[in-house]
Amino acid sequence: MSGEHSPDSDEVLGTRLRAELTRYSAPTGLRAAITQSGAPAPRRPWLAPVLAAAATALALGLVFLLVGPQMVPADPAERLVRSVVAEHTRALMWGARRPEVIPTALPWLTQESGIGLKQVFAGDDRLQFSGAEPVYLEGHRGIALHYRDADGHLVSYVVLPIAGFPVPDRRRIQIERGTNRWRPALMHDSGFSAWVWRQGELACFLVSDMVSDDDVERFKDYFVRVRVSTDPVPAR
Amino acid sequence: MASDEFHRLALEHLDALYNFAMYLTRNPPEADDLVQETYLRAFRFSHRFQPGTHLRAWLFQILRNTFLTFYRLREREAALAEDGVPTWDVPMFHDAPEESSGAVEAHTDLERALMRLPEEFRTVLLLAEVEGMALEDVARVLSCPVGTVKSRIFRAKERLRGLLQDYTKK
Repeated sequence: MSGEHSPDSDEVLGTRLRAELTRYSAPTGLRAAITQSGAPAPRRPWLAPVLAAAATALALGLVFLLVGPQMVPADPAERLVRSVVAEHTRALMWGARRPEVIPTALPWLTQESGIGLKQVFAGDDRLQFSGAEPVYLEGHRGIALHYRDADGHLVSYVVLPIAGFPVPDRRRIQIERGTNRWRPALMHDSGFSAWVWRQGELACFLVSDMVSDDDVERFKDYFVRVRVSTDPVPAR
Repeated sequence: MASDEFHRLALEHLDALYNFAMYLTRNPPEADDLVQETYLRAFRFSHRFQPGTHLRAWLFQILRNTFLTFYRLREREAALAEDGVPTWDVPMFHDAPEESSGAVEAHTDLERALMRLPEEFRTVLLLAEVEGMALEDVARVLSCPVGTVKSRIFRAKERLRGLLQDYTKK
């Protein structure tokens, strides 16, 4: 090896980035604005009693919060389901931001989401594929595929890379189809149903607004269709 | 650590944070807002900072997380046009367009190419190469393993090289 670098070697590129990129300095007013916003407020004689009253009110509020119903679920599975349902609702109201067509979008989706799809359910006579997009939920990058059934129900399939994700045992339901048998959990949040299961190091969700007994049977069928034909893996 | 001392140390990184914010937002007023919000959060949660750990990486982490949550959220909202009809071509994770209104103009092919990289690639190059951060600190900012940082740097440089070659051909 000569030791010299080609014009576009990693080292040269690194040097170029350091040397050629414009270096932006913070505007003079910004430092003052930040200092001002972070500075402690001047002392005021009336502040102590007001703060004492506020602290009392806060303490009462905390007691209420502890005794009253919890707004954010403590259970990680419930919290994730809530986020996935929120994403589903967004897609329901506004559609996928970038409805991509499978399989042409797969490389892009894999790159942006960190999830690869060795095999993917691209829709059939019951469920029509409507879009795919990367998502960012609860601090995890993931992938969402959206389908729509003949009755207009939107069904969202979401995969997030959460190794050891705890699927709630008490909510598991056995689903059999031919020789296949699965035990996903059926969870509910904000009027939506979600199948929750684990596939290797990935947490998988299938969400829809199908909550009645009849609907749940159909929702089982959708689970089978997606589960059988989709094989997500973490992209390394 | 005393509050005044923390403020003083944090403000030493103002220029570096602003530079990073400019390359993320490409818009001076937005970079201002992003940096201000970063410092607000840092001051508010200064008790969570562990003295002895890398303050610089901690501040960059706050800035990037703020960018991802706040600015990306706004980008999502912008995807809905005024008439209520979704504009489908505003993806959440995307190769940035070459120019956009109000954006700071790129001066060189290298800047233009860098601006076109997806955020995670642009960020990793800015932190590791431009700011000279150790891989461990970059990993902390990005909340990912060091191995992931290495592979992203490799992939980012590959993409950057490809874009630069395109500009050369043009």
